Amino acid sequence: MLTKLAGGRIYDPANGRDGAVDDLFLQDGRIVADPGPGAAPDEVHDLSGRVVMAGAIDIHSHIAGGKVNIARLLMAEEHRASAQEPCGCVGLATPSTYATGCRYAQMGYTAAFEPAMLPSNARHAHLEMADIPLIDTGGYLVLGNDDLLLELLASGAGEEAVADYVGFMLNATRSLAVKAVNPGGINAFKYNQRRLDVDENGPFHAITPRRILTALAGAVQRLGIPHPLHLHGFNLGVPGNVEATLDSIAAVDGLRLHLTHVQFHAYGAEGDRKFSSAAARVAEAVNRRPNISVDVGQIMFGQTVTASADTMAQMNNAGLAHPKKWVMMDIECDAGCGVVPFRYRDKAFVNALQWAIGLELFLLIEDPWRVFLTTDHPNGAPFTSYPELIRLLMDRDYRLARMAELHPALPEHTILGSLTREYSLGEIAAMTRAAPARILGLSDRGHLGPGAVADITVYTDRPDRRAMFEKPDLVFKDGRLIVRDGVVVAFLQGRTHVVEPAYDPTIESWMARRFDERMGQRLTHFRIAEEEIRGGIGLIRHACQPGSF
Amino acid sequence: MCPFCGLGCDDLTIEEEPPSTLTVRSTDCPVAREGYSRTTAAEPPRVAGVAVPLAEAVEAAAAVLAAAQTPLVAGLGTDVDGARAALALAERLGAVVDHALSDGLYRNLTVLQRTGWIATTLAELRNRCDLLLVAGPDPAALHPRLFERWVAPAPALQTPPSREMVFLCGEPLDSTRAALSGLPVTVLAGDPAKIEDAAAALAASLPDPSRASGAAGIAAGDIAALAERLVMARYAVVAWAAAAFEGPHADLTVERLVRLVRDANRHTRCAGLPLAGHDNVIGVNQVCTWRFGVPLRMSLAGGAPLHDPHRFAWARYTAVADAVVWVSAFRPEVPAFPTGQTVVALAPPGTAFADEPAVFIPVGTPGIDHAAHVFRSDTVVALRARGLIDRGLPDTATVLKAIAAALPQEAPAC
Ligand code: SF4
Repeated sequence: MLTKLAGGRIYDPANGRDGAVDDLFLQDGRIVADPGPGAAPDEVHDLSGRVVMAGAIDIHSHIAGGKVNIARLLMAEEHRASAQEPCGCVGLATPSTYATGCRYAQMGYTAAFEPAMLPSNARHAHLEMADIPLIDTGGYLVLGNDDLLLELLASGAGEEAVADYVGFMLNATRSLAVKAVNPGGINAFKYNQRRLDVDENGPFHAITPRRILTALAGAVQRLGIPHPLHLHGFNLGVPGNVEATLDSIAAVDGLRLHLTHVQFHAYGAEGDRKFSSAAARVAEAVNRRPNISVDVGQIMFGQTVTASADTMAQMNNAGLAHPKKWVMMDIECDAGCGVVPFRYRDKAFVNALQWAIGLELFLLIEDPWRVFLTTDHPNGAPFTSYPELIRLLMDRDYRLARMAELHPALPEHTILGSLTREYSLGEIAAMTRAAPARILGLSDRGHLGPGAVADITVYTDRPDRRAMFEKPDLVFKDGRLIVRDGVVVAFLQGRTHVVEPAYDPTIESWMARRFDERMGQRLTHFRIAEEEIRGGIGLIRHACQPGSF
Repeated sequence: MCPFCGLGCDDLTIEEEPPSTLTVRSTDCPVAREGYSRTTAAEPPRVAGVAVPLAEAVEAAAAVLAAAQTPLVAGLGTDVDGARAALALAERLGAVVDHALSDGLYRNLTVLQRTGWIATTLAELRNRCDLLLVAGPDPAALHPRLFERWVAPAPALQTPPSREMVFLCGEPLDSTRAALSGLPVTVLAGDPAKIEDAAAALAASLPDPSRASGAAGIAAGDIAALAERLVMARYAVVAWAAAAFEGPHADLTVERLVRLVRDANRHTRCAGLPLAGHDNVIGVNQVCTWRFGVPLRMSLAGGAPLHDPHRFAWARYTAVADAVVWVSAFRPEVPAFPTGQTVVALAPPGTAFADEPAVFIPVGTPGIDHAAHVFRSDTVVALRARGLIDRGLPDTATVLKAIAAALPQEAPAC
């Protein structure tokens, strides 16, 4: 079937289109070249005056896996409060899989990626992701606190062996990228250490966080994984942690590195309240170094629940839980998980400044291809607050008005009021589509050129950007119309994106022994078979290019 | 991969003796031996006691369920796919949903929902724990190879590797003693109905063991010694199987244990290990939670899921349910329902019923008749169990999907 999307204003930064009026043609789930005047489309959508973008892609959203389910259990009262919605989509900070798929699709998103998949929990995460309708998914594998890797490093293993280990783990767990969460810190917490400096040896394996970080960044490069090491840095939420953030950038020494929810890692300890914005320093470092990308992890005000593998940081924050209950888990010699409910209050100085720091980062980092729109759902806020965030970025007057409602001491602690930048539609398209696809290596997504998967979102151009991005007119997934005027009109299953880097399988005999001795599970059972992913249909493999970066 | 108790042992040797009899050779675990030995030959479905083809049984089930006003979809002894199908059917019917064995689970979940906790998993127990405190009855009664596989090997990730066990208000079984032979085991045989008192006394004396008082029949000196040992431990684990606790308010026992763990973390590292998990109760709860945002013991009657662990416990709800879908793919035992209640039962062949159900559809057992995903007891690890034999039995998911498809069609929501 040939479908014509006629006369829309196309924002497709990957192909250099910035609002020019053009037609798009879709066939068999993909975008095809204009078939010429003789062709008779089976279906035509008149999009004159409307804005057309690729489907949006969220590179960092906690949508599946054990910690998400713990968060749901813990937030039972939220579900009760929101249970009145007629369609049964419950929960804001902790939506069900069903609601996750619907809400994302209704906002024009066609893919979202779970950024913290523990090796031992990967099978669960995949089972859960398969139940998220409408959107594509995938997971980033958390390494860097796993005793096996630390042991390997402590034994003096070379870069090759580390890369083989990482390569095996990515294949076995069907992952798309490598994530490191407070490298070394979660492991140290299991030995009752409540903090660990970047150059301090861990309590058992005698390896420094810096060594773990550089080893993983190096392995990612060696294996040619498209996405750079996805780093949840050190001292999350601690005033003064900007030094560790800048130090991490320096540590990788030119290797590519993605700093995630960098808002939580851009804090100074200056001023009368010993808490200050270091956004300008982080932004400057990012602007200067093309090997660095970030996502922001914007906070928005209201009740949410924080869910992280970083037990060391979460344990330190547990006293701030609202409501006053929290869960910590040490997990399978892999990592851990900490779930702490939290309410960001606009009249609280610290929360107001966190909000401003996030926006400063967005506005000070110049290249929209290297800064990504995230709230670290649900940590900073539920992903459903993206349209509000887009409005804050695109509309300075609105931003100033909102700022005036916050804690009165805020203006003297932020330069936000002086920042005049307003994101353009083209920049939003880059930040939410083209750039995420490129940084994840999804070559046929995030753009609207011939050959691209027909994941497409159509908006009415409204001055109120929140209203515009909240409710697209049309959303196509794989060429099928799934949302019309904010209503889901068809259900279909997404796909699972993975990489399968080549590695030397001799590492497996060492690992098999360790699994037998320690994990109580055989390596062959740990490995997830292809048929386990969405019933065997739905794996999309992305090419790795060893040595190309 | 053994799917029965949630420990996920994957080292079994199982032999098939024709025709389709399975024998476990490598372990004397009674739960596995019994589970694998139940391989009665397939039999046809029945409607009102009369053998019929599967398609007819499915139609009959759909007909009685379509007429139900207050249906219950329960039992739910099934794998992840079976759970998905059961929940989808429950959604279509507007049913109440629960697992047969969620009593033990709820003693834990209620506390998690109320206060949260600090917990750990089996590999952490095996490799890091230097002091294991078992609260209440020996969990090996429910999880037979717990000590053999997860406690007897020396902790690889502690120097020096050492481990000792304390049994508080419960006696180790003989098999546990045998598995732990050579390791230091202390038994503080207090009153099993007063575990919470012992936990509270222990927590209170952590800051200053010299001020310990006796509790639950355990002498003050013993409490003091244990408190001292807990504070000195590098990585203590407090394990319990709540299903084995006595009394109607066992969740309060769990709460005290959870608080003890939290208090101990002010001094050192300590984590709880709440054990549950027969018949994939953990996995079914996980699926329910991700599918609906709320855990088991919930109702889909109003269109939106409503969770209430008290009202929607299956044993309570059977009193008002006018139709029950009971799924028991792991065991040929189904409870007796009130006389005259309409029951659609999915269970292994050979299942004996107190009253013949309206519809009985024999199904295969996950991990015997078909490959299956089940969850391990500590909630983190999902396991893949292979299919071993073919008795020609359908799996739960296939049957439940067919029943849902045979219901009168309606427009999709949302
Ligand atoms: S202990 Fe549990 S998992 Fe292990 S063999 Fe026995 S029943 Fe199976």
